Formats: sequence, structure tokens, C-alpha cells
Amino acid sequence: MASKEYSSARTAETPAGAWLIGVAAWAVPGLGHLLQRRWVRGALLGGAVWVMCVVGISLGGHLFGVSSKDQGLSGVLQILPMIANVGSGLLYVFCWLTNTGFVENAQLVTSEYGDKFLLVAGLLNYLAMLDAFDIAAGRKK
Amino acid sequence: MRHLLWMAVFAGLTGVVFGAVAKGTDRDRLGYGLTVFGEFMLIGLVLGWILYFLPWK
Repeated sequence: MASKEYSSARTAETPAGAWLIGVAAWAVPGLGHLLQRRWVRGALLGGAVWVMCVVGISLGGHLFGVSSKDQGLSGVLQILPMIANVGSGLLYVFCWLTNTGFVENAQLVTSEYGDKFLLVAGLLNYLAMLDAFDIAAGRKK
Repeated sequence: MRHLLWMAVFAGLTGVVFGAVAKGTDRDRLGYGLTVFGEFMLIGLVLGWILYFLPWK
């Protein structure tokens, strides 16, 4: 009971703007920090995630997504890497809309590298998103 | 050589992000980012050599 009250009090303290900053940070890598005038940190975080995405695609990496073609366990196994890829925000949405990067290029030597670059780019953007949220909520300088 | 290059790029970019979100002074963050970069490179090279000697064919 006490922990519930503590939890709701902590939630109430979070300003609404922090949630918007979190969404912006997810949607466009680096934007969450730039909106808070953290120019250097925003450029570093956003730049790193953008470069990782571009390098990942150029190396022949592919983005994961769940489709109706996947049957049984195959579809389930796509979910976790897809969650990692979705971390790239609108970059993932753009690639999905333009059907870029969703085709496997297993014949390329560097395709596995590309996959890892794309997966980690999304995961790092989740980290950057949480950092931007914490700054906006006043939990971090 | 290309593999080492991409591993270094990966380690460098990851180190930048980890360093940027770390707490402390700018010097602490730089040190942490460089540490992450070094750890990725070192562990990658060690694992690479271990896998090289394993007779998987």
C-alpha cells in the first residue's frame, strides 16, 4: 500500500513535458536533448544512432518485422529483434514505409554486421530516450 | 581487416553513447566512453582468437 502511494506520488511529480520529450527522443534520435538545449549531448547521441543506422543499412543489414508470412515460432522469434529495431523511431517507420532494409542480404559478407548495427542503434536510442526523459523530469542534470 | 574496422566503428559509436549518458564530469564521461570502447575491442579480439582455434567445421 505504502509503495503504491509512493509510486503514484513519483508519477505525479513527472511533468507532462517530460513524456513529450521522451516521445520526441524516440522518434528522432537526438531530438530530445536538442529540445532541452543539450546541444553537444544531443549531437553525440543522435549522430551516433543515425550513423549506426546508415552504416547498418549500407552494410546490407536487415530490419526485423512481424508479418503474416511468419508461421509458428518463426514469428515469435522476430518480436524481440523487432522491438530493438523499433527503437530507431521514425527511421524504422521510414524504412518500413519505403520497404528499405527489410530484405535479407545473406550473400553479403557484412550483412551480419549490418544486422547488429541496426539492432544496437535502436537499443542505444532507447538509452538516449531514457536519458532525455530523466533530464526533462529533473532526475538528472 | 574490414572486420576489424567495422568492429572499431561499432565500439567507437557505442562508446560515444555510453559516455554521453554517463554521470559525472566531462572528464569522467570521456574516460568511461574510452573504457567502453577499449573493452569492446579487447573482448572482441579475445573472443575472435578463441573461436579461431575451435575446430568447428
